Amino acid sequence: MSSNKIDRRDFLRVLGISGAAATLAGCGNTSIESGAELVESYVQPEDFVVPGVGVYYASTCTQCGSGCGIMGRVREGRILKLEGNPKSAISGGKICGLGQAGVQMHYNPDRLTKPMLREGDGLKVVSWDKAMGVLNARLGSKSTLSGQQIAFLTGEISGHQKVLLANFLESFGSTNHVVYDALSPVVGHGANKAVYGVEQPVLQIDKARLILSFGNDFLGTGPSPVRMAAQYARFRKAPRGTLIQIEPRMTLTGANADRWYAIRPGTEGVLALGLAHSLLQHPEFAHSIPQELAAALKPYDKETVAEITGINADAIPHMASLLWEKSPSLVISGPSAEGHVHGFSNATAIHLLNLILDNRGKTLQGQANHPFPQLSPAFGSYTALAQLNQAMSAGKCEALLIMGCNPAFTAPTFVPFANNMGKVPFKVAFTTQLDETSRQCDLVLPILSPLEDFGTHVAGYQPAGVELMIQQPLMEKLYPETRGIGDILIDLLKQRKPDAYKAFPDYYAYLKTAVVKAKPVFKVKESDDDFWEDALRNGVLRLDLPPAPIDARVAAIKVSAPQATEMGMQYPFYFVPSVKADLRDGRHANLPWLQESPDPMTSVAWDSWVEIHPTTATQMQIREGDILEVQSATGSVRAKAYLFPGIQPDTVSMPVGQGHTGYGRYADGIGANPFKILDPNFDEQTGELAMYSTRVIIKKTGENAKMIKDEGPTTLQQGRKLVVTMAADQAELAKEITRVTQ
Amino acid sequence: MKVHIKNILIWLSLCCFCSAALAEPFVQGGPIGSQTDDGFNALGPVVEQPIEFPHKTHAGNGPGQMNINCMYCHTYARRSNVSGIPRLDKCIGCHKMIESVRDKPRIKKLFEYWEKKKPIPWKKVHDLPDFVRFNHERHIQRFYFREHRPVREVCGYCHGDVGSMNTARRVKALSMGWCVSCHQKEHLENASTTKTSNGPNDCWQCHK
Repeated sequence: MSSNKIDRRDFLRVLGISGAAATLAGCGNTSIESGAELVESYVQPEDFVVPGVGVYYASTCTQCGSGCGIMGRVREGRILKLEGNPKSAISGGKICGLGQAGVQMHYNPDRLTKPMLREGDGLKVVSWDKAMGVLNARLGSKSTLSGQQIAFLTGEISGHQKVLLANFLESFGSTNHVVYDALSPVVGHGANKAVYGVEQPVLQIDKARLILSFGNDFLGTGPSPVRMAAQYARFRKAPRGTLIQIEPRMTLTGANADRWYAIRPGTEGVLALGLAHSLLQHPEFAHSIPQELAAALKPYDKETVAEITGINADAIPHMASLLWEKSPSLVISGPSAEGHVHGFSNATAIHLLNLILDNRGKTLQGQANHPFPQLSPAFGSYTALAQLNQAMSAGKCEALLIMGCNPAFTAPTFVPFANNMGKVPFKVAFTTQLDETSRQCDLVLPILSPLEDFGTHVAGYQPAGVELMIQQPLMEKLYPETRGIGDILIDLLKQRKPDAYKAFPDYYAYLKTAVVKAKPVFKVKESDDDFWEDALRNGVLRLDLPPAPIDARVAAIKVSAPQATEMGMQYPFYFVPSVKADLRDGRHANLPWLQESPDPMTSVAWDSWVEIHPTTATQMQIREGDILEVQSATGSVRAKAYLFPGIQPDTVSMPVGQGHTGYGRYADGIGANPFKILDPNFDEQTGELAMYSTRVIIKKTGENAKMIKDEGPTTLQQGRKLVVTMAADQAELAKEITRVTQ
Repeated sequence: MKVHIKNILIWLSLCCFCSAALAEPFVQGGPIGSQTDDGFNALGPVVEQPIEFPHKTHAGNGPGQMNINCMYCHTYARRSNVSGIPRLDKCIGCHKMIESVRDKPRIKKLFEYWEKKKPIPWKKVHDLPDFVRFNHERHIQRFYFREHRPVREVCGYCHGDVGSMNTARRVKALSMGWCVSCHQKEHLENASTTKTSNGPNDCWQCHK
């Protein structure tokens, strides 16, 4: 289905080679040419600069919210490659593929290089003076907007950017910082808070002897995959820990499990209650929870649970005995268990197992209480977007500022965010590249890439102590007419509150002052400048704090079975949107390295697909590559069928992140966007969108196309004829030899 | 006096290597337009540079010539895969002290670049295809620092006798066959041994 043509030269161009005249002008050059290229030398370089030898600078990865410390290799003033920063406990000196691709985000040929202003239907390039003039006229000193009239919509954000943004809104008497994340962790956080008293406990994966994971893809898309992958490696060393994964569609973590159970989506809580019931039969655990709760578990015997969940009845006591045998264990819930109408109760039921098994303080700990909570991240939620959407629809929003999220792409159909943007008189996007949302804005300001800008980050998941991550430019800005978001906000704040901000010539000065102010917390005896220099050199400011204790609030646990819905008749299949570790919610679909890297489960690249169980496919006479229409009550999308044994037979799954229509040459026109067929189901407790509760019907279109995938016999060349080969016994050697000699 | 036959052999072999090696840098590939066996031009074209830099005056050892070590200016050659064009402040560092030539047109031009803080747009003379990774450091460390061969000779294996030129001109083929022909020769491992070895023969040494 992919119509994107890409050759090797385009691929190289993504690395920014086209922009620089001198550096690699002879790309693809195969001959020796004297005088064809320039070799410009430095005028007055730093003493340590040696052409051809890389220098490493520390910074922070911003590709996801994990906040890994990175080291960037810089040569001849250009960032070439990213590595992990060993000084950061979060990354532990390692980096993931998504992090590596940060370089491509920086050198992306679709980067926005100049400000753009709406003129009629289109966006026209304007000067910064004009752009800032427009911005100041609307949001400067004379602006009378206040409260709900102004909204700043961002993705997950932490550190001083978040503080500066809040200060900017405060100057309007507003607290309307709306944080939206299509893959919101809010339900999980809510359930954790209810049971453990903390939003995100630290998972000591390497200390567990058994991990029971209900759809938590901690190796792929968890809160801190790099850290957890390293812990997982230790967990698998002798004595080898056991991993059991229960989920409707196999994730990367599921593929690594010793036992993988396909569960009917949404019934994870029932299985957890069944396991709890089974565990309570053992005298050791009989008195671990209050009697009335234990009594409420009575109906969850193995046959009932097996009937509801679709898991073999004998597997339940087997899992329970493993849990008893291998202590300490760790039971975790994940998005595919939490994304349902009763997702919250599912998660609390799963947490009940940790309480029965007494894993608190052993494999589950609280994050250290740190002294700068104001820098902690604001997590995105669906409800925040829905409220903003309502305000926009009612015409209450006069100015909308957007950064780091793309609701026009990720918002479900029943939140017509893109349409309602038309009702907002002034919309500003701060972005490195035009996407579906910023294309609808009135003013689009090109900001620096994360590899060109300063910043601080505090990860939401702090595995050991607490780390204030420092982000610093790894090279000069590529495009002269781009500016840091911090500088723009400082400019605006100087208009709004001249007295408070006149001391700061720019964002750098603000950030340095703010970080140096935190010096007393770190108890170091050095000058302010040395402290700042050290922070930049190390890329991280660490505080070794002990883990906080976590509670056991049994009262928060609800015992309830999910109600069967009428939907089953009309829409027979459960729909599981799967999240790829690289594309995430689609924000990285513009990076060709990630598009090219095959999906770890199916090996498909540059496409969307519908995963369907081979048995179901046989019944429906579906073959691989058949183009299917996946229709829900809300909408429908089309993609090729992929026969996948790692899926529950009543379930179909599609990866999210593809199906862009305005996100640059590498993202557009590839695959389909399953966000648009999600049903309006919400978690009862938190009101969050229940992403995994959509029901669909599959229709065959009668069309068929070749799958672009890496698996299968190599002679197939992944459908792309990379190198044409032929078996030796089929070749007419005499002919071949004549051809070569001719 | 008793002379060991072994010693004679050492002397003989040393003489052979020295004469072969010494002759090399000063032999040009051939007349312009002529081709080496593997089809590459032996002598490169004359490349006009923004400043006609006299290598002769700086590196030559004739009367009135400075005889400066190549690596005084091309300082990265021993530290990096590229030898690097000297940084502009290196030129200025000496020339601001040399009043006698300050009014010469070339020096005036040099100072113009310096005052504008603009790099001089030198043209690349010794170019290799992008799929070839030549490493200066390895060659300099081996032949200059370990074997103590004269610097003009070591650089000259590939660049010819630049000390006798004004602006540099390619005089060697810099083709694969030409590289390999040298890698196949026996080279002394260091100045105090008779042990010899070849240059690496693996594809990936240059094609990574």
